[in-house]
Amino acid sequence: MTTATEPTRWVRVGTSSNQHPEHAVAEALAPVLELGQPKLAVLFCSPAQDLTQVSRLVKAAIGENEVIGCSSAGELIRDHALSGGLVIWALGGEGFKVTTGFGLGTPEQGLRNAAAQAASCIEQLERRQHTLLFLLADGLCGDQMEVVRGAYDVCGAQVPLMGGCAGDDMALQSTRQIHAGALLTHAVVAAAITSDAPLAIGIAHGWTPLSEPMLVTDSQGTTVVSLDDRPALDVYLDAYDAPAEVREDPAAFFRFAHTRPIGIARRNRTEIRYVYSADYDKRTVTVFAEVPQGAMAYLMQGSCISVLEATAEVCALAEQSLEGHPACGFMVLECVARKSLLDQEGLLDASLRLPTVKEGISVGGFYTYGEIARTDGAGGLHNQTVVALAVA
Amino acid sequence: MSSAPWSLHLLGEVLSAFSVESPTALRDVVSRVAEAVDAEITAILRHDAFTLCTGLTREEQPALLALVEGRAATLTLPAGRTYHLFWASLGDQGLLVVGRALEAYNLEERALLRGMGRSIQLSTQVLDAVRAAQQAHQAETVAKEAAIRQATIDYLTGLPNRRMLLRHLDQLLSGDQPPDQQLVVLFIDLDRFKQINDIHGHKTGDRVLHTVATHLRAITRPPDVVGRISGDEFLMVLMLKNPSDAEQLAARILKHLETALPNQGFGFRMSASIGIALADANDTPEMLLDNADMAMYRAKQQGRNGFARYERSMRERLEERHQVQQELRQGLTNHQLRAWLQPIVSAAHGGVVGFEALARWQHPRRGTLTPDQFLGVAEEGGLLQQIDAAVLRDACTGISRWDTTLTGVAPRLSVNLSATSLADPCLLDQLEQVLQQTGFPAGQLFVEITETTLVEEIPSAYDNISALERLGIRLAIDDFGTGYSSLSYLKRFPVGIIKIDRSFVDGLGRSSEDEIIVETVIQMACSLGLEVVAEGVESREQEAWLRTCGCHYLQGYLYGTPADLHTSEIAYRESLNQQLGLVLPA
Repeated sequence: MTTATEPTRWVRVGTSSNQHPEHAVAEALAPVLELGQPKLAVLFCSPAQDLTQVSRLVKAAIGENEVIGCSSAGELIRDHALSGGLVIWALGGEGFKVTTGFGLGTPEQGLRNAAAQAASCIEQLERRQHTLLFLLADGLCGDQMEVVRGAYDVCGAQVPLMGGCAGDDMALQSTRQIHAGALLTHAVVAAAITSDAPLAIGIAHGWTPLSEPMLVTDSQGTTVVSLDDRPALDVYLDAYDAPAEVREDPAAFFRFAHTRPIGIARRNRTEIRYVYSADYDKRTVTVFAEVPQGAMAYLMQGSCISVLEATAEVCALAEQSLEGHPACGFMVLECVARKSLLDQEGLLDASLRLPTVKEGISVGGFYTYGEIARTDGAGGLHNQTVVALAVA
Repeated sequence: MSSAPWSLHLLGEVLSAFSVESPTALRDVVSRVAEAVDAEITAILRHDAFTLCTGLTREEQPALLALVEGRAATLTLPAGRTYHLFWASLGDQGLLVVGRALEAYNLEERALLRGMGRSIQLSTQVLDAVRAAQQAHQAETVAKEAAIRQATIDYLTGLPNRRMLLRHLDQLLSGDQPPDQQLVVLFIDLDRFKQINDIHGHKTGDRVLHTVATHLRAITRPPDVVGRISGDEFLMVLMLKNPSDAEQLAARILKHLETALPNQGFGFRMSASIGIALADANDTPEMLLDNADMAMYRAKQQGRNGFARYERSMRERLEERHQVQQELRQGLTNHQLRAWLQPIVSAAHGGVVGFEALARWQHPRRGTLTPDQFLGVAEEGGLLQQIDAAVLRDACTGISRWDTTLTGVAPRLSVNLSATSLADPCLLDQLEQVLQQTGFPAGQLFVEITETTLVEEIPSAYDNISALERLGIRLAIDDFGTGYSSLSYLKRFPVGIIKIDRSFVDGLGRSSEDEIIVETVIQMACSLGLEVVAEGVESREQEAWLRTCGCHYLQGYLYGTPADLHTSEIAYRESLNQQLGLVLPA
């Protein structure tokens, strides 16, 4: 129930670790519905939950208002991470207008057209100064960069893009996307948001170059074939001085590569690419998003400290772009590989310490298989990065 | 660790973007270029229109187009955001324009982008050349595939053609056949297909072939193969465990074909004759095909719409038929096809009033042959029209030479025309020419056709029939009562005579049904003002019955068997004399 002291514009996050869908939805929705019906509800839901039931129940509870969501590789709320839980991030109140859409792709054709189709929901909104497209995509369907390109084709340079790629608790089998009450796969779902006040994006990763810059001399989509004309896998293993088991065991390589991404040099930033498999015969490595042939690349290094620092600063970076307006809430999308790094060091509990975020401000998000954040420039797909949306 | 300047690798990445494997994916190329130069707006323009544009919505694009001529350094959009632009010439490929909001392209970047323009132009030209080469290669592949297809696939039905079937047979005959299976071929020839082409036109004929092909394909189970050898001939190549299954399959094909055309909306039915041949160890594909062909002829001889299995004696008989056909062609050239005449008498006074011309082949060795001895071969060889024409000309020429002093006019003459002759667009010219050259009066000429021919609704035949009236020639409906019973044609066409079929006349005095039919036909004809000829009259009882019923003319052995022109002339003169003797007492 809204009272005179309650905010007129709000972001509220609800959560539940209950495995019973009705109880989980009721528990997670309760704090949201205290402030009235949301204009947009975003579900971040572990595959351990009954996604079908959860998405239907949320849609039923909020009626005609917009619902999108996806499966996750871990859920985030202020100060800690969940496993097997449900997070509902919602915004409502005055000055927001929201439309949603979705598009279906295939592993063969990728998601560019699907993203463009989902992004078309923006055409239903009158564009205002503060307009943003929020995207959730299948994290295991082709080149993730195609999602940004497809959305960019529709929205153009003036609309910031923010979002993430759905996860499946690191099973790497199949992810789900949610639009209204429907459960999708190989899909992109989107919410176009216009607001009276700023919507701002922050990006941070905390990785620094380990290697000298190298030329990507041969790559095919998400497969890096050679760096400086040497087999990419050999360059990678040698640079990190990988132990013997990583050089022959795919599972060991997977664990090893979690914390050793590739960076692509851009004009004023480095975009991170998550390395997740190796082909020992062809001597190639595979990443989640395209590493363009001809690009300049680095092998990156990081530590728990740098990861935690990046997380800590991302909300501050986003809030700095709110043109002096106070934030009423944040969404934080963080790469699952960063979670692994903290987990290895027993620091997962500290994963979402946000010292710059004031008490009482809601924060929610999930661990992703890829992060989307484009404010300027043409790129915008990141791995092993944390991105934040600040809502004024 | 050193840090390489941004601009140094920029060129490499952009050029790499243009060397993607798929040159047609321009959209991807432009996206990569944009990402490489960190451009928020990237566009390729040609002739003042966008080939491709990213970063601007459809509503925003005109603002950039307006800047092309002056190549302005900045673009400010209505929403207020300003982009720094850089224009790079792509030569005759147009212009590349890139733009970003935060920072203008510095001198180093601009220099690189300018150099890159030329590189992109060259890359684009290379891509165009690659694309052209790909298209040429594709066209060549398509043409090659089409040529192979044309050489092995029948264009009309999509079935394997003769060449492919022979190749397939060759593979089967030269390979190791499973010991428990027998290679069998079915040679399927559509019955009287030539008539369909002649009567209904080739377009309908093609549709029939297509329909039959579809049905045969549906009956065939892999690895068995069905193909079209030529014209109306199809071949099935089968591997059977039990060779007697071939007969069952043949029977099934015939059953399918019975309903195939009516089910597809055709107004007629189609049957086939099927020859079955089992492969021998020493057979070549051609021999196997020949054997099945011979068996098919046997099926035709046995009355069509059936099947027969190849036996060695068939080869001799086939050779005989080929010989007969060859002789018949020569016979037509040498005027061996002659008209013999059978008298038609008046039921009122018994005198000869006319003749029906019937074909006889004066064979140099075998003597005079009747139609049943050569018409089958003639039909297979497409010679019916020539025979019709030869008989007409011979009869008209012969009778025109008769002395007609006593009557002042030649006797009536009925000539039979086959359906193919009747559909011939040249028929009227031919008739006119014969009448002109022989002087035979058109008013005494009757063209005999069957009911079946009329109800087949052949446009060109209808045109011919309708035009007969213009020449003064009348129509006689032959074998009346045995065909379809649509009588509307009696009003539509210039029918002068109805000829009651001999099968009904034969039953007079013995079958009350036949008597009722004959009586009804005569009454109906009289009501319509038509004359009636009863065929096959062989007894005085039949004659009396017909006369009582009011039949006008009689024809049959009772009044004379068919005879040559000279004999017929004598008989006619004698008949006239007798008539005159009755009318004019000596």
